[in-house]
Amino acid sequence: MSGKAVHRAIPLLVILIGVLGLHFTASRAYAACGAVTCFVVIGSQQQVPQGGLLTTNTIYNYTPMRLLSGTSGVIPAIDQTERRLILDHHQEVRTITNTLTFDLNYGITDRFGLEVTIPYLWRTHHHIDGLGEDGPNGEGEPTTFSDNHIGDMTITTKYNMLPTLRSMLVLGFGVQLPTGSTQATDSAGEVMEAPTQLGRGQVGLIGSVYQTYELIPHRLNQFSFASYRHTFRNNDGYQFGDEWNLNIGANVVTVPWLVLMGQFNYRYLVHDNMSASLEQSLPSPTPTPGDPIVIAPTIMNRQVPNTGSTFLAFSPGFQVNLDGLFDSPLTRMASLYFYSQIPVARDSNNNLAQGTSFIFGLTKSFQVLNPEG
Amino acid sequence: MREALTRSGIAGVLLALLFVCELTGAVWGMGSRPPVAGMPASDFALPDLEGRTHSLSQHRGNIVLVNFWATWCKPCTTEMPAMQACYDRLRDKGFVVLAVNELEDEAKVREHIRSMGHTFPVLLDKDNQVANQYGVYGLPVSVFVDQNGLIQEYVKGSLLTQERIQEVVDRLQGATAQKAATRS
Repeated sequence: MSGKAVHRAIPLLVILIGVLGLHFTASRAYAACGAVTCFVVIGSQQQVPQGGLLTTNTIYNYTPMRLLSGTSGVIPAIDQTERRLILDHHQEVRTITNTLTFDLNYGITDRFGLEVTIPYLWRTHHHIDGLGEDGPNGEGEPTTFSDNHIGDMTITTKYNMLPTLRSMLVLGFGVQLPTGSTQATDSAGEVMEAPTQLGRGQVGLIGSVYQTYELIPHRLNQFSFASYRHTFRNNDGYQFGDEWNLNIGANVVTVPWLVLMGQFNYRYLVHDNMSASLEQSLPSPTPTPGDPIVIAPTIMNRQVPNTGSTFLAFSPGFQVNLDGLFDSPLTRMASLYFYSQIPVARDSNNNLAQGTSFIFGLTKSFQVLNPEG
Repeated sequence: MREALTRSGIAGVLLALLFVCELTGAVWGMGSRPPVAGMPASDFALPDLEGRTHSLSQHRGNIVLVNFWATWCKPCTTEMPAMQACYDRLRDKGFVVLAVNELEDEAKVREHIRSMGHTFPVLLDKDNQVANQYGVYGLPVSVFVDQNGLIQEYVKGSLLTQERIQEVVDRLQGATAQKAATRS
């Protein structure tokens, strides 16, 4: 049975990876975004725990974003306050996001679960602002942005359609709440552009599917996770583009306390959209810097160039089951894990691109209610 | 260009879904809901460590404790000495233990049973079929089946103790004796 499943899975896996590869070589994706955080499938976060079981995950991740070689990083400015989209007004340098996520995943019944995800973010961003406008030759001025705050919380209801000892098929529906800040200012005292803010400023809806199957019971586990997010337009007239996530991977139990993990993570972000007028910066450098030229004064919904991105990464990692190493109430049903997310292919559309990221986490479960049925 | 991108994006998503369906399709029919008390226990036949086949129906007339377990499951191995003690004490009074091992290597199970000195029948559910039949998707699970083949207790997760097993057996034997007395 398990051997059959492996043989049936391998060709499909090869086709899937092939299609993703073609996607990167044969077409040009539209964009990158101001700031992203890396994502990996933890398993205990995506599953529905048994009824009465609370699984907590505390996850730290470090996500750097820099320019790819051959790109200039010249992108439009987004002025939410005056609803202006000014082309070629910024030059990106880097963004670093540190995220500490606290995730609570509770099994209301054996099939129905509720998950609350609370991220806390520290973000620093460097760019050159005012190309063609600021500085003696319109070369712009280095500007920094730094903020730390709670991000957008997510509440997800999940239903396990296929609970067996070997498998799980979980459908999830999540609501992302606009709890993150959208009005933080940069070093020049201006409201920072929406894509770099810690929050999206409006409700988002997330649909997801998580599947796992033990190809070799308690030894080799295969999983996949796909999600789609749609966020509505916020009060600043800014709408973050839809996000598609697709992840496939496997875990191998080497000895009972050590699990080796590997997964491919694919993310596709659609262009952001802004309700704004359209302007064009003067060329930079220029002997006569000045105000941008108005191209279209009407405030209307416009796609934001250089936002959105396509990203494929491989994330190797390992998990140490503390329960198997130490006999203590603190280590009972607890494990530590580490992943590095290594980009395989990126299309950042002349914007910052996610670099190699790192994820550390701690999982601990608590039997809150007696599971006896 | 944009159309090409959208097309390949859609193709990627469809293939991913196909991949998921392919893998889950093999086990689609396997998940079932746990039975509730009062339902007839569905019959099964599994080999033990000596290769003899045991069916649930062959023990009709006895109280049967069907225990789903694995060697890696700490709570499972913790509760087994209590099962053994009750089995030793009550086996001549119509009490049977069937310890159904889930998805493990026979040699590993044999070694564990030998080292623990268990003497009750240990059955091998190598393809997870009986666990799925009984809606088991976490271990341990214990099912008490009465003399008439009806499920009387379905115990998930929490540890079985000698007192607990004795209490259930007394209750089921008492109920049968009471029924018999009422009939006569």
